Amino acid sequence: MDASVNMAVNLGGLEMKNPVTTASGTFAAGREYDDFFDVSLLGAVTTKGVSLDGWQGNDSPRIAETPAGMLNSIGLQNPGVKALCEGDLTWLATKDVPVIVNVSGHSFEEYAAVIEALEADGRADAYEVNVSCPNVDAGGMTIGTDPASVESVVSLCRSKTRKPLIVKLSPNVTDVAEIARAAVAGGADAVSLINTLLGMAIDARTRTPKLARVVGGLSGPAVKPVALRMVWQVSQAVDVPVLGMGGICTGEDAVEFMLAGATAVAVGTANFVNPCSCAQVIEGIRAYCVEQGVSDVNELVGGLKC
Amino acid sequence: MSRAQSLIDEACTVKGNVQVGPGLYIVTLCAPGIARTVQPGQFVHMLVPGMEAHVLRRPFSVYQADAAAGTFDVLYQVVGFGTDVMTRLEPGAVMQAIGPIGTGWQVPEEGGVLLVGGGVGAAPLFMFAQQLAAAGRDVKVVLGAQTKDALVTYDDYCALEGASVVPATDDGSFGHAGFCTAPAQEAIESGSYPNVAVCGPEPLMKIVSRLALDAQCSCQVSLERRMACGIGACLSCVVDTVEGKKRACVDGPVFDASLVVW
Repeated sequence: MDASVNMAVNLGGLEMKNPVTTASGTFAAGREYDDFFDVSLLGAVTTKGVSLDGWQGNDSPRIAETPAGMLNSIGLQNPGVKALCEGDLTWLATKDVPVIVNVSGHSFEEYAAVIEALEADGRADAYEVNVSCPNVDAGGMTIGTDPASVESVVSLCRSKTRKPLIVKLSPNVTDVAEIARAAVAGGADAVSLINTLLGMAIDARTRTPKLARVVGGLSGPAVKPVALRMVWQVSQAVDVPVLGMGGICTGEDAVEFMLAGATAVAVGTANFVNPCSCAQVIEGIRAYCVEQGVSDVNELVGGLKC
Repeated sequence: MSRAQSLIDEACTVKGNVQVGPGLYIVTLCAPGIARTVQPGQFVHMLVPGMEAHVLRRPFSVYQADAAAGTFDVLYQVVGFGTDVMTRLEPGAVMQAIGPIGTGWQVPEEGGVLLVGGGVGAAPLFMFAQQLAAAGRDVKVVLGAQTKDALVTYDDYCALEGASVVPATDDGSFGHAGFCTAPAQEAIESGSYPNVAVCGPEPLMKIVSRLALDAQCSCQVSLERRMACGIGACLSCVVDTVEGKKRACVDGPVFDASLVVW
C-alpha cells in the first residue's frame, strides 16, 4: 500500500476512504464475501435493494449468460426493511465501513416509508433511491424513465432524511441527462449510473426465452461503453457528484469512469466472477495513481482530455 | 446464518482430463484446500480459462476427493460452450475454483439408504455412498444412464464394500432395460430403504421423491439452477420451497424433498 496517494472522496456528503463501493444486488450486504476479503476495505458497502415488507422476486430461470455479460431478472427479492435492520445492518455495524442502503418501492409512499424505517434505525449512512430496476412491474424503472416522477419521488424521499441521497438512474431512456437534472431538482445529493440495460436472450433450439420473465437487465463488461458515455453526459449536465458503474472489472476500468466524471465507482457483475474484485479494483486505482504520479485520486475526476 | 465452513477461491492445477464416456469427462484437479474439506454433495464454482466473452463461473459437483493427494475429481458432461472448452484443458492448466460450497447430503439417523443417480447425477452421490459404506450402512445404489457406455460411475460404485448396485440403461444395453425409476420404485416399495437420496434430471428427481414421500421415506434431492455468484449473494439460483425461495447454492444444493415445490 502506498500511503502517499490520497484515496478518500466525498460523494454528496458521504465520506469514503476510497472511491469504491458495490453495485446494489451484486454483493448482498457483504457477509457472503467475508471469507474472501475484509469488507471494511471498501469505500462503502451498497446493500441489495430493500422494500417495506419484502418481495419474493421473479420466477426461475433468473439469469442468462450473454456475450461479455449477463442478463438478470431477480426482481428485487428481499426480506423487507425490518429484516435488513435486524440482520445485515447489525452485521455491517461490526465493520468499519459506511453503508449505502438501496431503497426500492412499488409506490412513492413505499420509498418514503422505507427511508423512514431506516431513519428510525439510524445506521444507514446514505441512501440510494432505486428508480431504475427493470425487473419489477411497479416502481423501479417505471418511475425512473419519467422526469416528473423522478423529481416527485426524490422530493418525497428528501423530505424524510438529511443523509446523503443518491438517485440511481436507468440507462433505458432517451436522455439520461434530463433524468439526472430531475433527480437533482428533487434534492439528490448525488446520482449513480448505470443500472442494467433492458435486454433479452432466446434459445433458438427450444424457441423459448432464456429468462422466465422474458426480459431482464444486461450487466458486465458488455455495457461498459454505454455506461462511460452516460457518466460523461451526466457529469457535464449536473453539479452533484456521480457514482459510476457498468462493467467495471479492474482498477483501470474504474479510472476510466473517474476520468469520465465519476467521483466514486461501483463494482457489480465482477463480484460474481472474482469475489475479490472490489479489493483488486481499489488496489488497481492506487497503483494507477502511483504509476501516473497522481497524489490525490480526486484529480482524476472529470480529467478526460477531449 | 453463519457458515460452519469457510469458502476459499483456490488455484487448481489440472492433473488429468480424460474422456470416460460419450460426452463425459473426468477432470482431476490439484487443490488441497478444497480436497481436504469438501463434504459429500458439495460443489465447486469454477472459472474456466480460455472462455473468451463467457464471463461467468460454472458450478460442478465434486465426484470424489483424495485428501492425502490434495486432489478432487469432477465428472462433467459436455452441454455447452464452457464444458466444451473444459475438454481441451491440458495437465498443468490452472483454473480458479471457489469451494467447497453448499449444504450437502445429511446422513440419516437410521435404516438403509437408497441412492438414485440419473446420468451425471450419479457423481454428487458418490462421496455420500462412500461415507455411508464406511459407516457400515446398508446402501443400495440405482444408477441410470442412456447407454452402457454412459454408465461411467458403475465400477466405482461396485467397488464400495457393502453397497449393492442396480444399473439401468434406457436402451437396455446393460442392466435393467428402461428408466431407473422402475428399480428405484421396487427398492422403495421393498420397505428396506426408509431413506432415499436422488440426483439427476429434474423429472427423475420429482418422480423418485414422490414415490419416496408416498412410502413415508425420508428423501433428499440435489437441485441445479443457473448460478452467478455461487456464494449466496446474487439470488439467481433460487428454488421454490414451502418455506419460500431458497438459494440452491448455499441453502442447497441438497434439499429435503418434502419442502421442494416442483
